[in-house]
Formats: sequence, structure tokens, C-alpha cells
Amino acid sequence: MTQAKEKEKQHATKVGVYICHCGGNISDHVDVEAVRRRLEKVPGVAVARTNMFMCSDPGQELIAEDLKNGVVDRVVVASCAPSLHETTFRNAIRRAGANPYIYEHANIREQVSWVHHGAAATEKAATLVEAAAAKAGLLRPLTPIRVTAARHATVIGGGVAGLSAARDLADRGIPVTLVEKSPCLGGQLARLDRIAPTGERAPELVRALADAVLNHPHITVFTDAQVIATDGYIGNFKLTVRQEVASEAFTGTEACYIPFSGMRPAGPSPSEPREFNLETGAIVVATGFRSYEPRQGEYGFGDFASVITLPTLIRKMAEQDTEGSFLEIDGRRIRSVAMIHCVGSRQIPGIHPEDASGRLNEYCSRTCCTATLNAACRIRETHPGTRVYELYRDIRTYGRGQEELYEQAARDGVVFLRFEPDQAPEVVRADPTDGYPLKIRVTDTLTFSENLEVPADLVVLSTGMEPNDVSDLVEMMKLPVGVDRFLLEVHPKLRPVEMPVGGIFVAGTCQAPFDVGETCNAAGAAAVKAASLLAEGHVELDPFVAEVDAERCKGSGACVEACLNPGALALVEMQIGGQTVRRAQVTPALCLGCGACVAVCPENAIDVCGMTLSQYEAMVDAIVADQVAADALR
Amino acid sequence: MTVPSQAKGNKILVLATESCAYPGADSVGQAHSTYPTNVYILRVKAPVLFPERFYLDCFRKGIAGIIVMSCGEECPYDGAYHALARRLDRVYQAMKAQGMDIRRLRLTAICTVCNRAFLNEVNQMNELVQKPAAGEPGQENG
Amino acid sequence: MDNSRNVDFDAVVIGGGIAGLQSALDLADQGYTVAVVEKDASVGGKMIRLSKVFPTLDCASCITTPKMAAAAHHDRITLFTYCDLQSLRRTGGMVRAEVQQKPRYVDAHKCIGCRQCEYNCPVMVSDREQGGFSPTKAIAIPFSNAIPQIAVLNPQHCMLCGRCEKVCPTQAIDYFQEPRSFTLTAKVALITTGFEMTTLGDKPQYGRGRIPNLIDALQMERLLAPHGPYNRVLRPSDGKVPDRIAYIQCAGSRDKSMGVSYCSRVCCMYAIKQAMLLSGALPLADITIYYMDIRAFGKGYEQFFQNAQAMGINFVKAKVAAVEPGPDGAVRLHYEAQDGDGVSTAEHDMAVLSLGLIPAWNPEGICPLATGPDHFLESPRPKLSPVATVMEGVFTAGAAVGPKDIVDTITEAGNAAMAAGKYLAALRASSARKHLVA
Repeated sequence: MTQAKEKEKQHATKVGVYICHCGGNISDHVDVEAVRRRLEKVPGVAVARTNMFMCSDPGQELIAEDLKNGVVDRVVVASCAPSLHETTFRNAIRRAGANPYIYEHANIREQVSWVHHGAAATEKAATLVEAAAAKAGLLRPLTPIRVTAARHATVIGGGVAGLSAARDLADRGIPVTLVEKSPCLGGQLARLDRIAPTGERAPELVRALADAVLNHPHITVFTDAQVIATDGYIGNFKLTVRQEVASEAFTGTEACYIPFSGMRPAGPSPSEPREFNLETGAIVVATGFRSYEPRQGEYGFGDFASVITLPTLIRKMAEQDTEGSFLEIDGRRIRSVAMIHCVGSRQIPGIHPEDASGRLNEYCSRTCCTATLNAACRIRETHPGTRVYELYRDIRTYGRGQEELYEQAARDGVVFLRFEPDQAPEVVRADPTDGYPLKIRVTDTLTFSENLEVPADLVVLSTGMEPNDVSDLVEMMKLPVGVDRFLLEVHPKLRPVEMPVGGIFVAGTCQAPFDVGETCNAAGAAAVKAASLLAEGHVELDPFVAEVDAERCKGSGACVEACLNPGALALVEMQIGGQTVRRAQVTPALCLGCGACVAVCPENAIDVCGMTLSQYEAMVDAIVADQVAADALR
Repeated sequence: MTVPSQAKGNKILVLATESCAYPGADSVGQAHSTYPTNVYILRVKAPVLFPERFYLDCFRKGIAGIIVMSCGEECPYDGAYHALARRLDRVYQAMKAQGMDIRRLRLTAICTVCNRAFLNEVNQMNELVQKPAAGEPGQENG
Repeated sequence: MDNSRNVDFDAVVIGGGIAGLQSALDLADQGYTVAVVEKDASVGGKMIRLSKVFPTLDCASCITTPKMAAAAHHDRITLFTYCDLQSLRRTGGMVRAEVQQKPRYVDAHKCIGCRQCEYNCPVMVSDREQGGFSPTKAIAIPFSNAIPQIAVLNPQHCMLCGRCEKVCPTQAIDYFQEPRSFTLTAKVALITTGFEMTTLGDKPQYGRGRIPNLIDALQMERLLAPHGPYNRVLRPSDGKVPDRIAYIQCAGSRDKSMGVSYCSRVCCMYAIKQAMLLSGALPLADITIYYMDIRAFGKGYEQFFQNAQAMGINFVKAKVAAVEPGPDGAVRLHYEAQDGDGVSTAEHDMAVLSLGLIPAWNPEGICPLATGPDHFLESPRPKLSPVATVMEGVFTAGAAVGPKDIVDTITEAGNAAMAAGKYLAALRASSARKHLVA
């Protein structure tokens, strides 16, 4: 496969151009037929066709037929954004028996018909398709790079998502290493008691999962451990793991469950910190969430000892596990408890103050409504003397069995008060004559916006979820983060558990708030992608990597110096024309395809396959072509 | 049918990175915002691929303005952004030497949801290229 | 997609909507062979019939068609469309699915999807795929992006005039086609049978479907779809462009009188999405959503809701008690507003009922699967394995196991494929062991 720009030009290619109406999405603003007529006349374009939906079966069939009949040998589809359908059309070309890399995409929906109107839209669409056709004429068939993949996966995080993904992969026969930062397995689930709405006991769920993982022959678990360095690429990652000395000595010969911490694997742990390397084919990031910590003074938190968070309430109730007419917390009899929803969630710019780093949690934390109702019902059930007030914005009992919990709370006499975000309740010290330490002032929209005062012995803040701080991993592995600071998947429906870096998957609440069942679904979805990837023992990578034209290369080494991924480019000795010379050589699996080398070559001897400089130049020529014609008439 | 709003000779070339700026431009489309039709977006893996002469050639061919929309600090290729910034400095030098208005080449960072920033960039460049000014690119060879 | 080639598979997937397609793809990518049994003439389920999807506002077709095409073209996936499941049993460690293919009156092997029959058929029929707003023919391709592209003849409306038979270039029309029964065997089954909407006719207070310009949300999806019946949003009774549009939330959910006491989980978000699309299509229109609680709980959903408020969509916290026809085709709503005035009345040019979700399939008499009080399938371990069922080797995903949006459905479908894959791997391992012992 030698680079041969002259040959590229000599070889007369037959470009097929296929323009999509997108059911009106494009054709309402772009005269698709006019574009087709214009393209038909472009030299090198063999056919130009249109279809209502190019992505549909009949649309794809149009391309396949032309390829099979030898009418075309290069393909341009003008349709929506390439992120949606570039793969679709490459696959259609492959199925037709042609090389999928003879394909170029023209984006005339997101970048034309949805932003421009009238004749100018048609003009621009035609120009963009001409540019794509110009590039397509210079495309060469390419072969994907086949890389052997280590049949091993690494799961980062030992909460429900990590445990579940590790077990899934191991059950498929794939060896797994699980790395957990804390001394225990179980994550945030271990900090809960009874799970809404089914009433299952969190410790039992954690035990069941952790037991399965710890006893699995294909899983190795490291607690007190963190990934501190990453290297390599899909199928061939190299991780450095550092395991600390356990904070408390634990030498148990059997794993044991520590309430509100989780499952402690059998000791002994290393007596000195150690670092070791892992070779792994795929990575599942399952680093979970932490509970929102209210600001000092937020709803009286930190000002009054009797303002606590929901996780604190759950723990205190579980630890005492008493019955009796009144709930008791820290030895105090609680006659009235007020639970405030959406603390640290659904924050609105201009209403809620930003945190120290200028951020707001604008998202809904999904699980707190049901968790709060669950706690309320539990209090009413076991301590019928304790009155419960819920102060909420919307009750989001969306899941199965959750609405029933809401109904049960109402039946059990829980009092609901609804507030608007700009009229947030105020937690203040009550007058000594009131007989209660605190009271909450609230404008209740359920009673025609009446101003009410709720007396309380205890105020519980339904704190939301925040992603754990994984900035080190984000930095090392180049993981994208959304505005909500959760890890950001490639696409929520097309590739919901994938990170843009091949071979890295995301599972559970590091991606978004989820409940336990939803987390297990996410873990399974991530595991199935990793299992599919590692099933074959090798992976195929895009061939968009640098390629050296050894005939042109003079061995200046400029490219090696400019290369951004050490090891991808090197000067090596080779025989050319009976002489030993030093020439640049690419290691394709390591090449990122960024093109840093292309710009610096004095001989123009290196290019990135599928996106060569001459291809870009041809596109620019097509874009200015009408201008050139106009200038000629001047 | 409206008259095409674009006069000849004021085309703006956008080099948009496939992981940030290009989806960012798509996001502008998904929001059905509108911007001048003389903006032509090319999808690139990393603009660090283009040598100095590519930019100068574009101007010579008649492109009126170039916006390099990179990923900025989010760049997936470690070090590429700085190499790119250094290269564009050299292009600016060459532009100055040829008496060209260096505002016609812009380096900026656009993320996948930077709709407003994208619109600002293309509108500002459009304003610039609409008024013929001293040192109009392309003149030196004309 | 040849229906007769093979009847032995690793997995059989019942239901070819987005859940079934995603499960099938994730199983096939692991190396397993999969049969997908779909009751409709096309795969794609409810999702392919939608306009755009929240919270990204991607066009539904653009997300669904790649998965439909990928499944249709996958070497290890076989689609069986227009097929009813008659029974599903486990015998001798295998799953046996008895399937009956309904007659299309068109030979699936001969039809090339050229639509000549459709163009020449003289009988106009109300098109269910377009919300009943526009006509189709008595013989037609189900809809433009259907897979497979095979015409279906509607025997209730066909006059047997013979024109389609004359114009068909491949002699594919077969007026005498009979239902065809066959058995599929597999090692595992996945139930991804999805949902239906509660019907307009169920609630007398909402006019039992007889109030003009009171439509359901799926009909509005068609009005908003790029290839919808009118290519724009018009009021069905008189073709007027509506200025005042209302959404009635929980119309069929959280409502014991409808037998649906649960939350249908998706209606808040689809109503907000439609309201946003409407305000894009009709910038001057006044759009009001009457709601009980806004349940925008998923990733990016709350921000989507906040955007809708910023766009000027009105949210009124109220339960609509009754709907009646108003003057000039208007729809009159009686509701109790929570912010004060007691019972109020409002008139809108058009109103949309945000109907709830009910299961599309009842296992009774077909296979011994358990359902909950809400009639959806039930997992014995809803937390650690939401995709398990009470039958060994039978898994489930998507709206079959409770109302669910597309994002959650796709993730759950992946997990179902993982669970089924694990079961198959264990079977393989144990049969390999037996082989060694023997």
C-alpha cells in the first residue's frame, strides 16, 4: 500500500452521489432535485440519485445495486450528520461487497436545511455535496487494522454497578480485575437499609453480589486500590494500579460484612503500598456517586443539630431499629419530622446559590423522592405517634411500585406541602413557647399559597446524588464529562454505555442518577458491550492512521519529532534501491491519526489515510469553484 | 424564492474537530438556529494536520475567512492544541508579511454544546468578511 | 430475512421494537443466532412511529432505522414479521415457540417493495400509521421506512378488483394466502413485547373519543413527524392552524377509574417534548400543560423541562376533571387549579390526552409467566436482575416489564442480552463437560 498521489488522480473514479430528502427534513428547505441535477454534471460523478430516506432499506439498496453493477466505485451520501449514519452507509457498502472506506458523507441537514432556508440553502447544499464528491474521487480502499485483544477486563469501582458488571463478564468466561478505592465492596448501596419500593434489605443484596464476586474463579479483587496510570488502546490497555495499606488492620480469613461500610474481602492486605501493572482488553468505569453535602446554613444544616440528611436518618433508624409510638433520634423523642425534597438537586440559576467552584446541580437525582417516601412510610408504620411532613416540588414516583408508596404515605397520614423553587421553605429556631426546637415556614401551593409554619423536632434533607470526583481518571483516560459533571456517554440511545475512547465503557451512577435495578441494567449493558468486544480475541480499528510514502521520505525525522503519541512513529533503517536508508515508519495500532506529522513533513511524504491533505485541498477547490468561475468573467 | 444572501468572494471556511466543534455545529442545527450561508464546515480529526501553506493557499484561492474550531483544552490528542497554536502564530506572521488582515484567521475552541459561541464566531467573521477592507486576502496575487 | 431457512436458534426474541432489536443485536454480536418474532408487518415498534425523541430531540427514525437495518442485515439475526406467538414452552431444556404468520396476501419472497400495487389500488383506507388522519390504500407498504418493505393487503377493505395483481411486476399478489404455522426452537427466549396506550374510549369524562380535536399523544406524534399526514400541524376537524393547544397529563395514568393506578413514566417528558416541537412549528401558539407532578427524572430531563418553561410553555398544576366540545371545534376543559380559583374552565383549539401505557401482551394461555397487579411482566428479583422472569432461560426487557422510556429500554435490553448470553455460555460449558465425561 504505497502512497501515490499522482496515481490517485490518474485513476478515474466513478463517484455515486445519493441525496436524502429525510422525509422533508432536508427537502423542505433544499431543492433536492436541483442538487441532484447539478451533481450529475460534475466530472467524475457517474450517477446522482435521491431517496426519501437514504438510511432506509430501499435507500441503502440503491447504493448496493450501483456498486454491484459497477456503475460506481466511490460513494457520497448527502443526508444528516455523519454521527448518525456514516456507519450505516459504510456497512451498506461492505455488504455490497465493496470497500467501506470509499465513502464520504455530506452533512446537508444539521449544517444546511436546519440552519438555512431558500435558494441559498440549495446552493450551499450543492456546494457541500460537490466538495464531498471531490474528496470521494481521491479516496482509496483501506483495510481496517486488526489488533489482538487481551481477553481480560478491568472494572473500576466496587459498588453495585462494578460488582454486577464484573460478575457478568466473569460468567461469560472473561477474566476480570476489579479495583476498588475503599476497603469495602458495596459502594453506596451498603449505606442503605430497606430498598424502596420492594423492601429488600440492602445488606443482603450487597452480600449476595459481593459473595458471588469474591468467590468467582475468574475475578481478582483489589480493595484500597486505585488506577494511577493508563496507557495503550482498545484491546491492549496497560494500567498501573496502586494498592495502599489498609487503614485498619484486617486479617480475617473470611470476607465479612461491616454494616454501613460494605463487604470487607478476606485479608491480610499488603503491609506496604504496592504498585503493579495490568494488561487488559476493556475497561468498565463504575465509579459511582456520593451524596450531596448541604452547604453550611442550607435549610439550617450545620446551624441546628436536628437538621440531618436522609442518608443520616436511614442509618440512625437502622442502627437503633426500635419500635414505639415515637421515633427517637440521638435519644430525643421526635414528635414531628419535616422532610424537605430536592436538596442539592433541581437547582435553578438565579434562585439557588452556586457552590464554591461556581456549579449548580440542575439535574433531578431521580431516587430521592421514593427514598424519602419510603422513610416516611417506615416512620409512620413503626412510630405512629410521629407526625411526618413532606415539603416537595414534584413527587417523582415514576417507577414500578413507587406510586403505590406515594399513595400509602398519603393514606398513612403523611402531610404533603408543595413549594415553588423561588419560595423555598425556611428552617428557623422556634419560639420557646412553641414547644418545638424548630419550625419551617413554607408557602404551600396545595392550599392556595397559604403561608404555613410546620413545627419540627427533626428536619431531614433529601439530598441528591453527585458523581464521585474522578478527575484523575477523566484526565488519564480522556473521558468526557457533561455539564452535570457526570460522565457523558457517546449518545444516550445509539451508544448509551460507551465512552468515545474505544474499549472504555461506563456503568451506573457515575453516568447519571439511577436506582439499584437501573444500575444493574446499566452494568449489564456495559458488560455485554465489553463481552462482544473481547469475544473474538481481536478487534478491528479504523484505518485512519498515518502512512509514509517511502519513495518521497528523505528521513528528516521531522514527523517523529512532531508525533504526539510516543512509539507511533520512528525512523528505521530499510533497504531502498539497494541502499540502506533511514525512513519514517508508522506503528498503526498506536497512531492516533491526528496528523501532527503531516503538517511538518518537508517532503509532503506522510499523510493520514482517508483524510489526506490533497483531499482537503480538493474540497476547498470545490467550495471556491463558483467564485473562480465568477472571477473569470470579471 | 429568496435571493441568495451571499455575495461571491466572502466564503468562510471552518475547520471543525470531529469530537467537539463539528458535533457542536450539528447541535446548532438541531436547535434550528440560523447563521450565514457562506459558512462551510469541514470535519477534521485535528487541525494540527494542516501546514502553514494550507491556510495561505486557501486565502489565495479566494476563501475570505478561516475559523479553526478546535477542542481547546479538551483536545483528545495531547499536545496537539499547542502545536496548532504555534503553527497559527507562524501563519499570522506570514499574513502580516503579505499585508493581510490577520483577523481573517481565527483560532477558537467550540464544544459539542457551545451553540451560542459557535454562532458568535461565525457571525463575527461574517461581519468582517462582508466589508471589503484594506489587505483583502487574495489581492496580493491578483 | 428468509423465513423458511432455519428454525433452530440460540435465542428467540418475542417483539421487534427497540427493546427486541437491541437485545437481538447484543446477542448476535456475542456470536449467538437469534430469531425475532414481530406481530406487525414491520419491525421498529412504537419508536419508529414517533416524531422526535427526548431529551436530545433526535429524529426518532434516525435512531431507529440504523438498528432496524442492522438487525435485518445481521448474519446471525432472522426476522419473522407479521407473526403471532401462539405458545411458548420449555421442554427438554429447549424453548419451543409456536408461531403463526398472518397472511399478507403478498408473497414475501417475490415482493420487491415497488409500491405499484399501492399506487394502483382504488380503495382508500384510513391510515392507522398516520393517526387515522390521512388515507392509505387497501394494499400498501406499511409505512415509508418499514422493514421489510413488503406490501400488505387489508382483506377487510379489498374489493378483489384485481388491479394490484395485474400491475405487480413480480406476480407477488396471492389472494388465497393462508396463515402459516411453524415452530421455532431455541435455548433461551426474550420477551420484549412492549406497550400499548390506554384507549380514548375508556373514560366517559373525556368524551370516549367522540370530541372533535381531542386527540391522543401518538396522533400528535404523527402530526409532528417530518413525514406526517399533513406535513404540518393542523387541527383534524377543519384543517385550521391551532393557536391554543392543551395537554392533559395523567389521562389514563395515576387514575384508578381507568384501572391504571401507576405512573406511566414517559408522558410528562413526551408532552414537554411535543410542546417544544409545537412551539417550534407554531411560534405564536399558546401551549398549556395541565399536570399533577412533572416527572422529569432521567439524564438531562430536568434541564429539558426548565428549557420548556423558559420557552414560554405554560404549566398549570391541575387535574382535568372533564372535557367537552366547545364552540367552533374548540375543546373545553374543566379543571381544579391548585393555585386558588377552585374549578376553572378553559377553551383550547385542540387538546392532547397524554394517555398512559398498558402492556401490549398478556402471557395467559401462551406461556406460564408471572404478571404484577399492573399486568406487566414481573421479575422475581427486580433489583439485582430486573430482566429475569419466573421461567428458566426466559428473560425480558423494556416496556413489557413496566412502562419505560427509550433510554432505559435500550439499557435494559443490553442487560437482557447479557443475562441470556450468560445462560447460553453456561449451557455450552455444561454440555462440553458432559461431552468430556461421555
